[in-house]
Amino acid sequence: MYALEVKNLSKSFGTLKAVDNASFTVPEGSIFGLIGRNGAGKTTTIRMMMNIYMPDGGEVILRGAKVGQEFKNKVGYLPEERGLYKKMRVLETLLYFAELKGKTGRTVTKKAKEYLERFDLSNRLQSKVEDLSKGNQQKLQFITTVLHDPEFIILDEPFSGLDPINTNLLKEIILEKKKEGKVIIFSTHLMDFAEKMCDHIAMIDLGKIILNGSLSELKSKFSQKNVSINYEGDISFLQKHPIVEKISDFGNTTGIKVKEPGQTQELLKILVQNNVVVKKFDANDISLHEIFVELAGKEAGQEVLNV
Amino acid sequence: MFNNRVLAVLKRELREKLMSKTFILMTLLLPVFMFIAMVIPSYIMSIEGDEGTRVEIITESPLLTQRFETSFKELDFVKDTTYIIYYSTVPESDLMNYIDSKKEAMLNEKLHGIVYIPNSALKDKKIQYYSKNPNNKTLMDKVRGPINKVLLDEFFSTKDLSEEELSYTRMYPDVTGYKVSEKEEIEQVGFGNLILAYLFMFLLYVSLIFSGQMTMQSVQDEKQSKIVEVLLSSVSSRELMTGKVLGATITSTFQMAIWLIPILLFISTTWFVLPPEFTFDITYGHLLYFLVNFFFGLLIFIGLFATVGAIFENAQEAQSGMWPIFMLLMIPLFIGLSILKNPGNPMAEIFSMIPFATITVMPGRFTAGDVPMWQLIVSILVNIATIAVIFPLAGKIYRVGILRTGKKPTWSEVIKWLKYKY
Repeated sequence: MYALEVKNLSKSFGTLKAVDNASFTVPEGSIFGLIGRNGAGKTTTIRMMMNIYMPDGGEVILRGAKVGQEFKNKVGYLPEERGLYKKMRVLETLLYFAELKGKTGRTVTKKAKEYLERFDLSNRLQSKVEDLSKGNQQKLQFITTVLHDPEFIILDEPFSGLDPINTNLLKEIILEKKKEGKVIIFSTHLMDFAEKMCDHIAMIDLGKIILNGSLSELKSKFSQKNVSINYEGDISFLQKHPIVEKISDFGNTTGIKVKEPGQTQELLKILVQNNVVVKKFDANDISLHEIFVELAGKEAGQEVLNV
Repeated sequence: MFNNRVLAVLKRELREKLMSKTFILMTLLLPVFMFIAMVIPSYIMSIEGDEGTRVEIITESPLLTQRFETSFKELDFVKDTTYIIYYSTVPESDLMNYIDSKKEAMLNEKLHGIVYIPNSALKDKKIQYYSKNPNNKTLMDKVRGPINKVLLDEFFSTKDLSEEELSYTRMYPDVTGYKVSEKEEIEQVGFGNLILAYLFMFLLYVSLIFSGQMTMQSVQDEKQSKIVEVLLSSVSSRELMTGKVLGATITSTFQMAIWLIPILLFISTTWFVLPPEFTFDITYGHLLYFLVNFFFGLLIFIGLFATVGAIFENAQEAQSGMWPIFMLLMIPLFIGLSILKNPGNPMAEIFSMIPFATITVMPGRFTAGDVPMWQLIVSILVNIATIAVIFPLAGKIYRVGILRTGKKPTWSEVIKWLKYKY
């Protein structure tokens, strides 16, 4: 059973096709990553899932039914560009956002105070938001996202602009919510983060979904022909070797793609025969980044590395 | 359309607005400003700035000149030397030469003007005024009466009339206004209602602009601070807009009700006594109508201002979006002010029932004179219809605009937004 199914979503702004017939599924209890470079269509997709934008075509199915206000009430959303009312007080802010989700009363107040305690903000209940440091404002924003105990947590580029402490804090919240069985969906252009945190991913490029599935399955599927190595010596002779399809330099490691599955052992033999000192040879690993490059092209990969 | 989420937004708006310093200050200070704004111009008007005016009165005969001199010397503004009058006798044939000779003095303002009263004036009262500023209304208002008096005396001196008959002919008709209404008695009225009509229209105008701009500012803050996206993950843009517009409307209606309390006290108690020429005659019905009308006006204009706020990212860019709204407010205000001279004129009736204008013109008309009930109902229906037409459109523009950032959109783009499926 899927928690959420996205079916053939499309959205254009004038002549620009921001999202083009995108379909993917989000399983129950997973951490789901929507991955792509800047401008690929991640935020537009998320906004359509949240019913903030109306899709030109397609639909989003929540546990078998079309999404509507009911979904909004079950979602905690942290947009990429975050914002709070500067003149409002801390506790007041939390209660207001909970009220918009239909949660009021003493339980919410109690829970808000618990969260503030946990995030070292308990002495700031009556402070104005504008008097908090940027880091503390981010903490407050996290609390508004989860205070109403959402079943779905949608985070758009959650780690952009966070300091290391808040990055860890947010990861902590994400893992905690996963344990509670919530569905977490986040978009990112940071392949590393996605790789470390997600169980399932969808890759989006130029508005099109180019990959969707469980991360481990995808990896094993793509790793059959891919090897990542660390070495000393010269491997330029591989460029024209008949079993090698492509060499990609990722800085710390080099990825080599062979033409047929099962040629990886032969590759190791060739390296040794040519006096290359192999420090690490991983025939069972492929980074998300490599998969992305393979699917979206080297140019796109470079762009992802640079952003 | 109205649900818990709208209510939550509405409550926040009310809390934020009613508790704000701006609201309290505005509520207290606006009446003071209004008073100053009404008193200062009339004070300035009362200063005529005509001290030391030098005028020459010329007639064709020494006898007539003599008459003018005798008569003018008795006038207050001549006695206190506000006006210095010279008297000469010049035959008509020499007049142009004479004026030429005085030209320099007139251009240097050593002499402000020459009043020429030919003999023929005793038949047709046609006189001539030569000056650098021949349209000086203050001067003419002052000398016209006295001149008329001398001409009258001169004209009737050969007709053998008694002093009583003479003084009768010198009088102007003195009009007292009586108001005929549905009520039993016919009552004498003062200027009170006219003053109130001005007051109501100005209050309405200032308050609409002020609350509209505040809402626009608040929408832009939400847009700029990016909080709007967080909000839209919980509420729809329609709910957000409804909550905000209603919040601002209720706040301003409440404020207006506070401003109307003194008038309510005037009509319900005897605590205050006004001089008879300032007494006014309005009923609770007037005040109620005024508040209801104001409520609709607020909904319409705050809705428009909120939409403009959503289109543009900051107040500077929004300037270009605000002028159409200002036109919709200002043109009716000017129409409203001008119709007060004759509240029953057919143009006033028409304008008091067309969209947007009705908000300002009808309260003015209603206060200045009686308006048939059906017209008041039409006015309210027109307002409701206006709301029904503009809100779906404004809501669409709001929905698209509120999440847009970057380049300032053009009007043609905004019109395209109406066709977007958002």
